[in-house]
Amino acid sequence: MEPQNAREKRDAAVEARVHLIVFRLGEEEYGVRIDQVKEVTITPEITRMPKTPSFIKGVSNIRGDIIAIMDLEERFNITSAARDSRHTYTLVMEAKDYTMGFIVKEVPQSLSLPLSSLDKAPSFVQDFNISENFIEGIGKYENRLIIVLDIFKILTSDEIMELKS
Amino acid sequence: MKSREQEYKEIFVAEALEYYDALSRHISELEKTPEDEQILAEIFRLLHNLKANAKAIGYLVIADVSHKLETAFGMIRNKELSFSDEVVTVLFDGIDMLGELISNVDGAKEIEPSPALLRNLDIIINTQTDNNTELNKVQKYYTSKNLSLSDLIYIQIKKLDHLLNLVGELIIDRDRIVSISKELDNDDLKNVSAHLYRITEELQYSVMDARLVNVGSLFNKFPRIVRDIAVAEKKEINLEISGQDIQIDRNILQIITDSLLHLMRNAISHGIEKADVRKKNKKTPQGNIELSAQNDRDTVILRLKDDGKGIDQQEVRKAIVQKGFLNADAVSDLRDTEVLSFLFEPGFSLAKEVTEVSGRGVGLDVVKNAIDSIGGRIKVDSKKGVGTTFTLYLPTSIAVKGALLCQVEENFYAIPLMHTDSVLSLPTEKLHEVGNLLVTDIKGETITVVHMRELFNNDLDTYNGTKTALEGDVQNIIIVTYNNRKLGLIVDKLLRQQDIVIKSLSRPVNTIDIYAGVTLLGSGKVCLVLDVAAITRYFIARR
Repeated sequence: MEPQNAREKRDAAVEARVHLIVFRLGEEEYGVRIDQVKEVTITPEITRMPKTPSFIKGVSNIRGDIIAIMDLEERFNITSAARDSRHTYTLVMEAKDYTMGFIVKEVPQSLSLPLSSLDKAPSFVQDFNISENFIEGIGKYENRLIIVLDIFKILTSDEIMELKS
Repeated sequence: MKSREQEYKEIFVAEALEYYDALSRHISELEKTPEDEQILAEIFRLLHNLKANAKAIGYLVIADVSHKLETAFGMIRNKELSFSDEVVTVLFDGIDMLGELISNVDGAKEIEPSPALLRNLDIIINTQTDNNTELNKVQKYYTSKNLSLSDLIYIQIKKLDHLLNLVGELIIDRDRIVSISKELDNDDLKNVSAHLYRITEELQYSVMDARLVNVGSLFNKFPRIVRDIAVAEKKEINLEISGQDIQIDRNILQIITDSLLHLMRNAISHGIEKADVRKKNKKTPQGNIELSAQNDRDTVILRLKDDGKGIDQQEVRKAIVQKGFLNADAVSDLRDTEVLSFLFEPGFSLAKEVTEVSGRGVGLDVVKNAIDSIGGRIKVDSKKGVGTTFTLYLPTSIAVKGALLCQVEENFYAIPLMHTDSVLSLPTEKLHEVGNLLVTDIKGETITVVHMRELFNNDLDTYNGTKTALEGDVQNIIIVTYNNRKLGLIVDKLLRQQDIVIKSLSRPVNTIDIYAGVTLLGSGKVCLVLDVAAITRYFIARR
């Protein structure tokens, strides 16, 4: 039998994990919290919507809901890595009062890492293309570096809300 | 389907039974607390309404009994009659008789009110003149009360809205299934989907039907309103109302209520002249206003016509220049109908003085926006010295709209039929470049034509209509109308006419002006619905 305090320690560690959906944008790995993701699907047919910024790819019919689809690489000016996969995938993310899709090029994976390995975003990422506000932290896991995005900040960012033709 | 009259009768009976229930309840309370004035007033009010309703629909016996009871309670209220045991019995009997009469309206056997009871009622009403008359014993055949629940229920409009939305979703899925079953060519599936089609169609019409109300429910408020405005303006108005029984979706009627009120105020305070001016112009001293409704297939047409001073075209032309909408040259080229359409521009008002009821900066643009929001149309005709007519074209129902489908590049777009005027194929040589826009002449009218493909691929501000961008010898053009103005849209391909269910776009793409919404086609393809109003507005402003 383990000593009780050791077990408590381990339980606490188990509770303090974050579950992420991890995907690639450009050459880096990004993650969003799993509870912000409604579903992951092969990107359905997208109807182009003229008069929207180029990072809005258009609208799609996902189970009868018509939602806007955004390309995060274009949104953050990340150079797309060359790939020749046949499909892209769409993360359907749910904000408070609407739903939106984000295109990713490779199959997203689920990953759980201890909260302790998630650092708050350091200030130098301000130089980064992604505005610091969207980054919740940097996760480290077995030599991988995962940029964790706060998707609600992206969804509510003024820039998107004020889309105008 | 039941006749309108039958429906009215059912509504009357349901309401009357409710009144009866309330009356029974209140009189029992009153027996315990005879001094309670509130209960007395409530009984009085119920009887009064019941009398008026019964009279209106032609149930004179009910009206008569209600009247007698109302008189009796009126006397109790004025302390001319004491609420004694004898009187209470008569009143209870009277109310029970009312209940009996109401539940047997149009029944198999006609029920006559008991003459003895009627006499008793007369006696208590005339109590002061003749105090000695004995009250008769009333044979109590009204005691066999059967409990029953009303045939009508009240329902929140919100619930019907939800139901209608669900039906809209269902129709989209149905069209998809019908289309898949055609592709699969399976007989069983085809039969089922044909059946599904019929059922959903019937469901759709039933839900739409449940939301219909009479235009009269709004129109009938106007005699009083008109009277009040007329008094404030010191004018005499003769209001004629027709078409009250035309039916329309309740929410549409709700949305245009303020607009209609606004137009009515305008008509009385700005349209109709003062009596002495009218006499000078050989008109009747009282101004005439007609408010009418009529049906035209899926459209309800409301018309507000006055015989006032009309709108002075020259004054409007002057105002267009003054307010900087157009320069003097451009204004002189405008046709009369186009001139009047400027009345709907934001910030355009001809009112010189602010009166109590109108001219407070709420312009016709607000009216127009309300009508645009439900996919309707408004038109104004006016002749100086003769009068002004506003015509509102409204959809009967919000859910399903006829639309014209077209294709630009790989996308399908829908344009609501309410805004389409005509469709034509025009030789490219008939299009001309004027300024940075394409124009053409159609039946003597110069119309701006927009090349949709260029519009979609360029910023609105950098859009230029050039002939070199046009492909082919013939262009497919959809002529749309908005606010008395026409605009041509060049599309790649005309597809077909179809009923569509418009879903609103969700954030963040809901703020883009040129889309009114989105719909799903039977093929599952997403089809954007163009907002003709927004597109036309933009090009009119630009010209």
